[in-house]
Amino acid sequence: MNRKPKILIVDDDVDLVQVMKGTLESKLFEVIVAHNGKEGLQKAKGEKPDIVILDIMMPVMDGWAFAEQYNKDPLLAKTPVLALTSFSESLGQPFPFQVSEYLQKPLKPKDLIAKVEEHLKKLGM
Amino acid sequence: MFDNVRVPEIKDEAAPVHAKSVTAGEVSASQYTPEERALILRVGVYVRMRWLVILGIVAAALIASLVFDISFSILPVSIICGAMVLYNLIMFRWTNSLKAEPTGIVLKKAERAANVQVLTDLVIFTILLHYTGGIENPFIFFYLAHTIAAGIVLPQTRAYQLATIAVSMITLLVFLEYAGVVSHVNLEGFVRPDRYENLGRVLAVLVALATLIYGSTYVTTAVLGELRRRQRDMVALKDKLLEKRAKELEQISAEVVKLEDERRSFARFLGVVAHDLQSPLVATQSVMSYILEGYTGEITYGQKDLLERAVRRIDGLLTLITDLLDIPRIETGQVSREMREISFNEVIKKSLEGLDNVAQQKGLTLKLELPQSSPLVYGASRRLQQVMTNLVSNAINYTNEGTVSVKVIDNENDARVEISDTGIGIKPEDMPRMFNDFFRGSNVTSKGTGLGLSISKRIVEAHGGKIWAESPDPETHKGSRFTFTIPKKGAAASKEK
Repeated sequence: MNRKPKILIVDDDVDLVQVMKGTLESKLFEVIVAHNGKEGLQKAKGEKPDIVILDIMMPVMDGWAFAEQYNKDPLLAKTPVLALTSFSESLGQPFPFQVSEYLQKPLKPKDLIAKVEEHLKKLGM
Repeated sequence: MFDNVRVPEIKDEAAPVHAKSVTAGEVSASQYTPEERALILRVGVYVRMRWLVILGIVAAALIASLVFDISFSILPVSIICGAMVLYNLIMFRWTNSLKAEPTGIVLKKAERAANVQVLTDLVIFTILLHYTGGIENPFIFFYLAHTIAAGIVLPQTRAYQLATIAVSMITLLVFLEYAGVVSHVNLEGFVRPDRYENLGRVLAVLVALATLIYGSTYVTTAVLGELRRRQRDMVALKDKLLEKRAKELEQISAEVVKLEDERRSFARFLGVVAHDLQSPLVATQSVMSYILEGYTGEITYGQKDLLERAVRRIDGLLTLITDLLDIPRIETGQVSREMREISFNEVIKKSLEGLDNVAQQKGLTLKLELPQSSPLVYGASRRLQQVMTNLVSNAINYTNEGTVSVKVIDNENDARVEISDTGIGIKPEDMPRMFNDFFRGSNVTSKGTGLGLSISKRIVEAHGGKIWAESPDPETHKGSRFTFTIPKKGAAASKEK
């Protein structure tokens, strides 16, 4: 595939977004940013990203509410979601996405890239 | 004064009778009030006593005429006894039929049965007395038996009415005989025939008898009235207590609901606190890692070193926050809400991911020994992984050379995990405090939060399991060994804390 992999970051923490954006852009990925679940859902539908990086604890619409809407869209439902959580947030909760993985915060840039590339590879990119 | 003496007597009498009549197979006795039950019993006692009285009369008459040779005609006495037998049979059936009456109605019916019996007895006794010497007969004092019985069975006013009827009957009988309206039967050979003609004697006997009758009525009604009052008080008290208990239960269940609400809002609060405390640290951490990894340009060795120090400190702080917030979560029952049916081997394997690298870097061997088929446990997977991570990374941390081995044993009732190391071990004086909050071994340079073991203990105990430490390891005689057990599914049910 020739086009640049498109990655959507949904996170309300602007500093964290800044770092993740910088990290991913250094790999020449196209990065789109949304600051809450609602905005994230709109952009996910409009931009059709290859991978979504999602913060679970967010204002306006949190990760769980996001998942509910997200799974209704058959195309999105197949798009992998990397869920950012701290340890205590993720305990005992089965994650509600078809293709997903927990990424535990704090996340080192190189680990983020490794995970994203791993999923892109699975997608054949 | 009499009250104190008589009360226990009456109680003692009533008790065996009660027991007997229960075994006699009452159907509905349990639905009666204590007062109703007592009245039915007493009416029954009447009938039983009357059989004895009939036997007594026959015996007395025989002894009087045969042994003492007192002359009186046996025929009327025999007829009266026969009549009494018949009448008592009727009473016997009547009393038994009372037990089929529903509660509420039975009280009135039993009272009527008692009235009829006492009245009939009085009439029969007066007639009997007439044929056996009237005032000459010392058994005249047996009127007392009636009035005492009436006092026991009937309400106060009724008892006094009957006492009055009894006194009137004797008086009537005695004066009819005295006036010659009714012929007097003289107990020849026992009492001189002129006795009933002596007005002074007749009056003295009558006054003594009347006084005794009223006196005994007073005593019995007073005692029985008190007993009945107590019975009613007890029932009222019982109802009151029941009502109170019901109210208390209601209150308690409301409190439980409230506590559950509070727990939930507390959990929410903890969630927000955790998020808000961790978020800035996570962001800072990420920013520093970003710089460290060179995304903002080359950094010097000195800058790298300082940044790495900062990252480590924030790492420590993040762990501390997570641990601190974990404790109240576990203590409010979080663990049992996370419990599922899980394959124990999987949990153990997963928990060691990454740790073998850490061990390797330190030049240690990490050994894992699992049972062939995984024990099935009902547990919180991530929490058990947390325990494992804690114990195994401790073992790796405090071991400089040798082996860290993890062994899972499938016991009948529990899955047991042993984590052994060949490290520095635990000082004996530290043993009792090992699992306390903020404990740090006296022989280690502190690294952790001192909460890892205490949290592990809470998690294991929330599963209904046990955790303990031994140093040195009883098999290798080196380092230390930590063991914990988790009950298997179907074994001892894991209880919420």
